[in-house]
Amino acid sequence: MALVGVSVSIEAVQENKIQEVTLDGQEIVIPPLSMSESLAKSAQKIDFTEDGSEDHSAKTSEEETGDKEAATFQPSLWPWDSVRNKLKTAYTEVGVLLDVLNIAKEKKYMVLTHVQQDTSEPKSAVQLLAKKKGIMLQSLISGLSAASAVLLSGAERLKRSHEDKTGASSDKFHMELLKLRQSWRLKKVGNAIIGDLSYRSAGSRFWQGGTFEVTKNTGTSSGDQTDVGSALQNPLQVVIPSELEGTAYVQVEIKSVPDSMNLMSATLQMPDAIGRTPPNSHWQERLDNAQNLLFCKELFAQLAREAVKMKSNVPHVVVGNQIITNIFPGVQLSIVLCHSSNKADKKGVLQGVSQPARTDNKPVLEHSLHQLLREVHHKTLHLDPPQPATATFGFTKRRRLAGPLGLSRADLKEMADSETLLEQIIQQARHEVLKFRTMATIDRLAEEVRDPQIMAHWSCLNSPLQSNMKIIITSSGYEAVRSQGLVTFQSLDLEIGVDSLKAVTKDRRVLQLGFQEKEVEDLIRWQISQHHIALSQNIARMIGWEVLGCNGCNGVGAMEGFASSSSIQLVAPKNDRMLLIKSGPTSGLHVFLKIDNKDNLDPSLAALVDPKWLNLGGTFREIDMEQIEGGNLATKLELIMAMVCKKR
Amino acid sequence: MGVVCVYMYPVPEGKSGQQVVDSMQRQLELLGAVKTGNFNVDCETYLSNNPQGTPQRSLHLLHNSEQPASCFSVLDTGTTLVADVLFEVLMAKLTQSKSGKDGFYQQRKGFKIESKGPRFEISDFVIKIGSVSMASNFKGILVEVEYCPCAIPAECWDLMREMMQSFMGTVADTPPAIVKSKKDQFYTPADTINQYLEHFTNFRKATVASQQPR
Repeated sequence: MALVGVSVSIEAVQENKIQEVTLDGQEIVIPPLSMSESLAKSAQKIDFTEDGSEDHSAKTSEEETGDKEAATFQPSLWPWDSVRNKLKTAYTEVGVLLDVLNIAKEKKYMVLTHVQQDTSEPKSAVQLLAKKKGIMLQSLISGLSAASAVLLSGAERLKRSHEDKTGASSDKFHMELLKLRQSWRLKKVGNAIIGDLSYRSAGSRFWQGGTFEVTKNTGTSSGDQTDVGSALQNPLQVVIPSELEGTAYVQVEIKSVPDSMNLMSATLQMPDAIGRTPPNSHWQERLDNAQNLLFCKELFAQLAREAVKMKSNVPHVVVGNQIITNIFPGVQLSIVLCHSSNKADKKGVLQGVSQPARTDNKPVLEHSLHQLLREVHHKTLHLDPPQPATATFGFTKRRRLAGPLGLSRADLKEMADSETLLEQIIQQARHEVLKFRTMATIDRLAEEVRDPQIMAHWSCLNSPLQSNMKIIITSSGYEAVRSQGLVTFQSLDLEIGVDSLKAVTKDRRVLQLGFQEKEVEDLIRWQISQHHIALSQNIARMIGWEVLGCNGCNGVGAMEGFASSSSIQLVAPKNDRMLLIKSGPTSGLHVFLKIDNKDNLDPSLAALVDPKWLNLGGTFREIDMEQIEGGNLATKLELIMAMVCKKR
Repeated sequence: MGVVCVYMYPVPEGKSGQQVVDSMQRQLELLGAVKTGNFNVDCETYLSNNPQGTPQRSLHLLHNSEQPASCFSVLDTGTTLVADVLFEVLMAKLTQSKSGKDGFYQQRKGFKIESKGPRFEISDFVIKIGSVSMASNFKGILVEVEYCPCAIPAECWDLMREMMQSFMGTVADTPPAIVKSKKDQFYTPADTINQYLEHFTNFRKATVASQQPR
């Protein structure tokens, strides 16, 4: 049985799409489209370019499509088909246009509204931003152009002003600065360029520092046309502190002072002006002079300090810029710091002119002083590195090894003592004096003594504290006279030390001599006398005479001033002629010949007495060697011996 | 460094150490000796802190005023080290106890022994008369004779014996054991120290022996 009157309605499920499910379970649904929205959506779906007949008649569409389909299957049945279609589309389109116009005009049933479009808004924001940026950029450009204009004008002005003043560009100053930097240390402190010309970086610990300033030359001498240098004026100028102005040098002099005890009478020496540096000389010259001055000051300060502190037998006197000390009795060493500043030192100049060649300074000792100070600097910087690296710093290697080696107190004390600068230079000066004196003595003797020749050979390698030389005494022409392998000459090896000499004779005797010149002279004279006898002995043997006796050191006879004389007795080979030669350092050379007194013999005794008994005694007469012909003793002796050798 | 002989001079009964020293000093002055100061040789002992089971090793640290820059350390095996005085600092570090743990070595208290006295010089000889004291207790007299020019004992032993007999008598008949063992080798300061150490050890043993029968 069917129930009548029950209405069954079918409707779509109100199932909207869920846009989002929130965290608390709530569902946010997409609200269903409103009527106008759904219409718009549908309208969008319509494709207005399609055949209009299909849309307008939905009812008869099926039928018509069937007819049309049937119709289209017969393409060339109706020739006006295409015309009809075209007219129909035109008509449709006009109809739509009419509808649109009606809607737009009447606004009764339908209103033209905007369809939701999101793309239109962004377009305006971009435009705004672009506009803003454009404005900003424009203002920026205008500002920058204003600034650049200011800068350019300023630069123009500077350039002009600079060119007007010097006539050279600023490049030259920088080129000069570059050159300066290659030789000197510079650094920039604030606005100024400061340089250092002291020896601090080389190890000096002098209290006075040398800083100079580098400035640009302002060229105020443009009005001074007579100055030739103005055209080549240096764009760079150095400002040196006032105490380092001028030039200086250290002068070492050794003079013999007869009044040796009176040190107080030493005269204060005014320095000879070696020339002031003109103020506009090249910066290199000025800096060099200032540095040299600083070095000399340090050297002199150190020497003066040591002179005052040192306790020695000979007192050192430090007066003003001079240090005076006696190195030998009668010989004085003076070290002077000569400083001529740039201020007009007229007195100094005058004195220098009046005594032009007064200086007998020792440049070798001055150089030595410079070297010694440099050595001190070097030692300050170059300390032995400690090994291991954690050990105490500053010890020498020997001191560090003192512990492990077990050095005694005496050794340590010896290590701790080091010589001061003054002591070292005094020693060098002493050696210099001694060497010079010895040289002079030997040269004088060589000139004086003609008979044996004295030759002095100096060693070419010497040290500042020791020199060696060899003296050879020969008779010219008889150097190679050999007798039983002995060569006839005397030789002496002299070692000149600081305050004494050591002589080694040919027979290897070592003699210590003092610093007196006379000692060397005496020694040589004695050696000459020895030579005479040795020579006579050799010649006698060579010729054939017999040596009856030879005495190197006579114990009898008159005493010599020093040393002793030596003598030799020779007898002729065939007859009974005897020669006696005696040579002493002070008494000189004497030759005696036995006078034959056979003639004086009493004829009555001739039968009793054998002539040979007459040989026992006899008178000796001295021969005047001056009258014998011959250059030296050897030739003279030869002559005598030859003459005397005639058979009787 | 010359050759050094160290002898113990016996103190006769009834006399004090000071008296013996004075008499010897007078004898030396008669010989022509010149007093050039004082000398001091001291010895400290350290014991090692070993973990249980291993025997304790000892280290002796000696100083000699004749070698002021050196510090000598002798192990019980006989190894001798001659070092700079900074070695003491190292020893102090080894003895230090840090963060609860004991140091590697500990100093033996009351064992410091030293020989002090005047020093005389007679031409090539240096003679030292030392009174040995341990914790200010007088223990004995040690005489040290050094002959400076020679460094080989064999060459100068006879001369030294003659010298020593002139003021010490028969004490110096035989050379000390260490000098004997090194007759033909170079003599070093370490050998002197070993001689002293031997004497010090003897003095210590004598102390312990005298303390024991109580």
